[in-house]
Formats: sequence, C-alpha cells, structure tokens
Amino acid sequence: MSLSDTVSLGAEALTLKHGKTTIIEGLDIRLPSSKVTAIVGPNGCGKSTLLNGLSRIHAPSGGVVLLDGKNIHKLPSKEVARHLALLPQDTIAPDGITVSELIRFGRHPHQSALKQWAMSDQEAIDYALKAADLSDLQERLLDTLSGGQRQRAWIAMSIAQETPLLLLDEPTSALDLGHQIEVFELIRELSEEGKTIAMVVHDLPSACRYADHIVAMKQGKIITQGSPKDVMTKELVMELYGVECDLIPDPMTGSPILINIKRVKS
Amino acid sequence: MMNSLPTTSAESTQTKVPQGYVSLTLGQFTCLLDHGAIRRNLLLLGLVILASIASLAIGTVALSPWQVIQALFGYGDALSQFVVQDLRLQRLLAGIYTGAAFSLAGCLMQTLARNRLATPGIIGIDNAAMAFAVSSVVSTAISIAPSAMALAGAATATALAFGLAGSSGTRGYRFIVAGIGIGAIAGAITQLMLSQVDIDTANAAYPWTVGSLSARPELMVNILGGGLFFCLIACLLLTHLFSLLPFSDAVITGLGSSTKWLRLSSLSLSIILTGLAVAVAGPVGLVALIGPEMARVFARYRGIPLIGSALAGAFIMVVADLIGRTLLSPIELPVGIVTSVVGGPYLIWILMRQRSKSTI
Repeated sequence: MSLSDTVSLGAEALTLKHGKTTIIEGLDIRLPSSKVTAIVGPNGCGKSTLLNGLSRIHAPSGGVVLLDGKNIHKLPSKEVARHLALLPQDTIAPDGITVSELIRFGRHPHQSALKQWAMSDQEAIDYALKAADLSDLQERLLDTLSGGQRQRAWIAMSIAQETPLLLLDEPTSALDLGHQIEVFELIRELSEEGKTIAMVVHDLPSACRYADHIVAMKQGKIITQGSPKDVMTKELVMELYGVECDLIPDPMTGSPILINIKRVKS
Repeated sequence: MMNSLPTTSAESTQTKVPQGYVSLTLGQFTCLLDHGAIRRNLLLLGLVILASIASLAIGTVALSPWQVIQALFGYGDALSQFVVQDLRLQRLLAGIYTGAAFSLAGCLMQTLARNRLATPGIIGIDNAAMAFAVSSVVSTAISIAPSAMALAGAATATALAFGLAGSSGTRGYRFIVAGIGIGAIAGAITQLMLSQVDIDTANAAYPWTVGSLSARPELMVNILGGGLFFCLIACLLLTHLFSLLPFSDAVITGLGSSTKWLRLSSLSLSIILTGLAVAVAGPVGLVALIGPEMARVFARYRGIPLIGSALAGAFIMVVADLIGRTLLSPIELPVGIVTSVVGGPYLIWILMRQRSKSTI
C-alpha cells in the first residue's frame, strides 16, 4: 500500500479510552489540508488524547483514524512515519546529543538496516537546519540551548522527517513569550510551504493569531470548529473555561483578543 | 548504488556526511561511522590485546611477551607453547568472552531501562541464572545442562521482574526493585541447594557461586563464544534501531519503530548474553556496571557504546582475573571477588551521584 504525496488525516466515530475511562467517544474530525489547525479546550478535555489518537500513539477502542483514506493502524508504521510526524509533549533526548544528531533521528523512517545513510539524508538535515534557523547551532549540545532553541531543534527533527503532516502537542508550553513567537512563526512558515499542521494550544489569542482553523473541545467532544473569526465568541470562552470576557479584534492583525477577563461568581 | 565504492575524495565526503563521521559503503549496505568511536574502540582493543599478552605471560612460569606471541602462533620452545596454548589460553578466552558478554548485556539493559543501575546483575538475572545452573550441577551430570539451565534462569528472572513491574514496564524503579527481590530469593535458593548436598557436589557447584574463571568446562566456553559472536553481529545490525531506545515511546512510534519489538530484541540479547556468561563464570555481574561506564568515560554521546562496552568488559575481566591470580599467589582469588572489591565502591558512588543527576 502506498500513500499519495498530499495525504489527508481524519477520524470517523473515534473512541479513545485510558484504561476503562472513556476520554473521547464517537468523534469525527478532518484536518483541513495545508492549513494550521489549533485544538483548544480546558484541561482534561481530551485534546492531547485526540492528537495521540490521530498520530497512532494511542490505539482506538472504536472507530478509525484515516490517513489518506486508509486505516492508519493497518498501514506499516514506517510508511506512516514518512507521511506523519509527531512532536509529543515529553521530549526526552539521549544525553550529550548535538542538535544535528537529534535532527538526524528524523531520517529514521527513510532508512533501513541496510541503507543507514543516503545523500538525501544530509540534504534533508541541511534543509531542516536552515528552516528552523539552527545552522549556526548544529554542533551545539542540545542541553546547552535555550528552551525555544531546543523546541526548534525538535521541530527541525520533524521537518527532516519530510512529512506532509505535522502534529504538535503543546509546542509552546513552558516557553516565554519571545520563544513562543519563535516557534509559532516557524509553524506558520511550514504551513505556507504546504504542510498540514495540527497543534494543541492552551493560549486562545495565540491559537486565533496563528491558526487557520480552530477545533474547540470540551469533555471529549468537538463543540465547534471553523476559522478563528467565526468560532471565537465570548459565549464559547464562557462554555469552555467558565470565564466572562470581551473580545476585540487586534488593531494590527484583526485576530480576536480577549480583554476584561473575569471569573463567574456562582 | 551508482557509487558502491568507499568515497576517497575528501571534498565529496564532507558534503555527504555530518561533521565527525565517515560513511562506509559495502555493496547495498551503507552506514555512518563516528570518527571518535572508531578511535576509542581501537584504543580499547589495544588495551584488551595488551592485557591478554600480560595474562598469558604472567604466572608460575613467567614468559616474555615475545615468547607468548611466538607460542600463540605455534613457534618457540615446547614449554612455552604448552603453557600458553594448553594451560592459559582457554582461561583467557573464558575471561574475554564472559567480560564482553556481561558488559554488552549491561549496556543493552541500561539503555533499555534508561537507568544506569539497571544491569542484569542488579535486577537478579545473574543470581537466577546461577541458581538454575547450580540446580543442574546438583541434580544431573549432563555437561551442557548448566548453559541451558542458566539461560532458562535468566529468562525466568526477567519475566518475573517484568511481570511484577506492572504497567511501568522496564522503565522506572519498580522493575529494579522487583529484580533485586528476585535476585535475593534466587541467591537464597542456591545456598539452600548447596547446604542439602554432599561436599563433593557442593564443591563442583562452588565456582558458579563466587564467579571464577579457573578450569571452566571447554564446551561451555565455546557455547558462550558462539553466542557472543551471534549477539555482536545482531547488535551491529540493530545499532541503528537501538539508538532510538533513549527516546520516549511516543517519539519511537512517531518515527515508525515498534517499541515492543525494540524492547523484546534488546532484552532477549541481554538475557542470552548474561545466561551464557553466568554458565561459564558464575555471577560476575559488576562487570556489567563498570564496563559500559568505562566505554562511556572515553566519550561524550555518539550513539550507544555497544562495541565499546564489549571491549571494555573483556579488558576489565582479563585484568581482574590477572590480579586475582597474582595478588596473593599461590592463593587464587576468584575473579568475582576482585570485581566486587572494585565494583562495590563504584556502585555506591553511582548511588550517591544519582541524587543529583538521574537516569543514564
């Protein structure tokens, strides 16, 4: 089975469980291609679980995840890895590894026991280094980088994987404002090159600013989805997080921003 | 495919491979080799050769290094040929094989468990293999039995530790704690068996309980040699996959590899190596702790030092046995006691250090 170059990713009637607890039940989703999708929602709503389900890390208890219309769990894992890259939340790297060594692991799905190295590998690594603006840091140890640089190195590893699809689980958590922008702008650039990207994001204004498509989740269900301008309303913020706020368009970019946020007193 | 010969032009290799690496192409096979790793492994190999010559030369009959080399290749006088080939070579091979096997098994398991303490010796595999081997010595006289039984013991202990560790699998302290318990029980069972049999049988089983290279059965040494060769080839072919082991499960799956298969293969190799080595020398498990560490000291990270660990383990074992033979000569200290004396304090040092810096 071979997959076409522009692959779609979606799920039908997807049910995901942690042990006996059902996290997501009967969910349908389809990622718009060549766009950035942000999955938002309160803690424990199943955002990360959904992302892990879509990336075949979490096996479904019901329903099916479709990569290019084919059941992802029936496809060879390496074949999937050539089309779909995942940046999980916990990113533990081997000790003492350099930036370019980390990025090299992204080539793994393209290599085999016999063909452990090819010309195309070095080209992909050089491209990833350039795209993530890490060329000057390629021989640095990963441990010695700042949080934002390290996160860029991990994203560069996914870039080197040369997949049309990229899923990121909270790529900017634990990063300060400057580093967050660094990562979000890189994600935008990748999407402009035609990648289909989905990311779990906590910060609503960032989601509105950097995503083309918002998927809002609560208690394992998608309650609404669409372009940030269409779906982001004060009612939605109220429903998701139980806080009152007003929304105004950013004077420079036009994307919605939240002001006057206050907790609802019960 | 067009260019199947190793590239000789410096310019073209520079553009093709990452800094500090060379690519090796043999027909369809292409891999990357790290300059530093080649240098380190050659250095370790040199140390093993030096230690081996010393081990063959030193003893009741002292020989010069030149006599040893001559005798090895069938030249020189009859006495030195007899001493080297008939008296000392077998013991040297037993030392090299067991050291390499224990250390390689240790490196695999440490990487798998992502914990420097998780060597087969610590998690009870050595002791269980010993208990099974001793039980076969006590009950039967079949010469191949200790090897087979030690393997069975190693597999049993691992399966038990794995089962008791529950959902945390090979990662996390439950696996290690469960293993320590299993090791203690296996040790007690061995003692119980030895206390129940007559003194001659107990004597026959004694070398397995302390770790000794003295007069080991040739058949078991050869079985270990074959097993070690097989495992080294497997490791070389799988290094590419094993290098993913330090990553989280999500990353491994995301890169298209199976975490189950990775664990199963590295654990199996570790069990085979430990079981066969225990069948020869008994539980000299601390080599599994010191060997990989010595291989790491030589280098910062460039993959997992599998070959380096095997070489370092062989070196440590040969030197430890040499010390055991000569230190209190004519009394011979079992090699297991020498490695314990050196390894014990080292283990304590790791435990103290773990507080500040965890995992590998």
